[in-house]
Amino acid sequence: MKLSVYTLLMALSITACNTTFDETPPGPQFDGTAYRPVYATSQEIKNIQSLPARALKKPGKIYLLGSFLFINEMGAGVHIINNSDPKNPENLAFVSIPANYDIAVKGNWLYADNGTDLVVFDISNPREVRLARRIEKAIPLNKYPPFQNTYFECVDDTKGVVVSWEKVTVSARPSCYR
Amino acid sequence: MKRFFQKTCIVLLSGLLALSVWQCEMGASADVAPGATGVGGSMARFAITDNTLYIVTRQSLDVYDISSPSEPVRKGKAELGLGIETIFPYQKNLFVGANDGMYIFDNRQPQSPVLLSKYTHVMSCDPVVVQGTYAYVTLRGGVGCRMWQPQSTLDVVDVSNPSSPRMLNSQQLLSPYGLGVDGNKLFVCEGDKGLKVFDISSPTVPIQIQFLTEVPAYDVIPYRNTLIVTGNKGLYQYRYDGTQTGTSLELLSKIPVE
Repeated sequence: MKLSVYTLLMALSITACNTTFDETPPGPQFDGTAYRPVYATSQEIKNIQSLPARALKKPGKIYLLGSFLFINEMGAGVHIINNSDPKNPENLAFVSIPANYDIAVKGNWLYADNGTDLVVFDISNPREVRLARRIEKAIPLNKYPPFQNTYFECVDDTKGVVVSWEKVTVSARPSCYR
Repeated sequence: MKRFFQKTCIVLLSGLLALSVWQCEMGASADVAPGATGVGGSMARFAITDNTLYIVTRQSLDVYDISSPSEPVRKGKAELGLGIETIFPYQKNLFVGANDGMYIFDNRQPQSPVLLSKYTHVMSCDPVVVQGTYAYVTLRGGVGCRMWQPQSTLDVVDVSNPSSPRMLNSQQLLSPYGLGVDGNKLFVCEGDKGLKVFDISSPTVPIQIQFLTEVPAYDVIPYRNTLIVTGNKGLYQYRYDGTQTGTSLELLSKIPVE
């Protein structure tokens, strides 16, 4: 009997934790900041460009292939670095890919997410990267920022597609969090 | 009523503490050679093995044939629970990290992975790296149950039998993100708090030997004595020694953010 009461309590608590704390907010501790979605039109989001090297702003995930290092610029594209001498990495070029967070490379081919699309680039010349293939709607879009334990302004689909997230100071605690 | 739920949360917490069932996501490892397909960090959602591209979306594992590299062909899709975060191929297995657990797939048929086990837990997690038969897992405290202190841990998990992973050791962390392992060194990103280096000469007992508090760290790739660290101050590279004990990181270069 004791065991079954305990089991019942466990079961109840699992379902209860998320919803019943009206005296302590259920979300993470609020520090006055939150992530705000940056919107673009469905046209803008497909605007891919091979550009000269640019400075890092919000470096995200990384991928290493031989002497080449690829650094995701969160929500914006990929920096291509010649890393044959890790003491003197050379910033070669930037591929502008709106709403990009993930990358993988095989040989001369770069795979990336471009919002909900999977795109493939020929990078045999890193300074003249060429879009080789687009597979539309391959990846469902996340409606939350790529961080946990944080608040964010809820996504409003009528404003467009979310390409990136900026951290901002807010006066009130947003209702969305993860 | 509130008090009742608070109590039950505490019961839940202590029950789970006693059970110590916290295993979760798998990330990247250092001994994937950056040959033709390269190596990603532990936070990756994209991974390539030979002619197969894997993408984890928030709810599925998608498999693409890239035998013809510019023409990915979708081969299959495994629907998983919500909150899928990372993928890491290691030898004959794929390790898929999710907010509610870790999925381990048999990958001997690369384009039709077979689910071997799902390891569930209650907290949200970060990736894992694998070396030999040990997985190093960082678990970040979740927001699901706030009575619960948002405790974060580094766990060592025996994955010699991928059908039944087993926790061996656990120690507290601050705010973990990605991690990487090579030889006797384990590198753990603590987000804005910095980068930690552990000695794992005894693989089941990581011992912290260095904590770079001035280097915000989101993800790492350790490869051939060069550690690449990405974070919100920029990209740092260090020389490390994965064979000697008592050695520390030596800064090679930094690409700052502007």
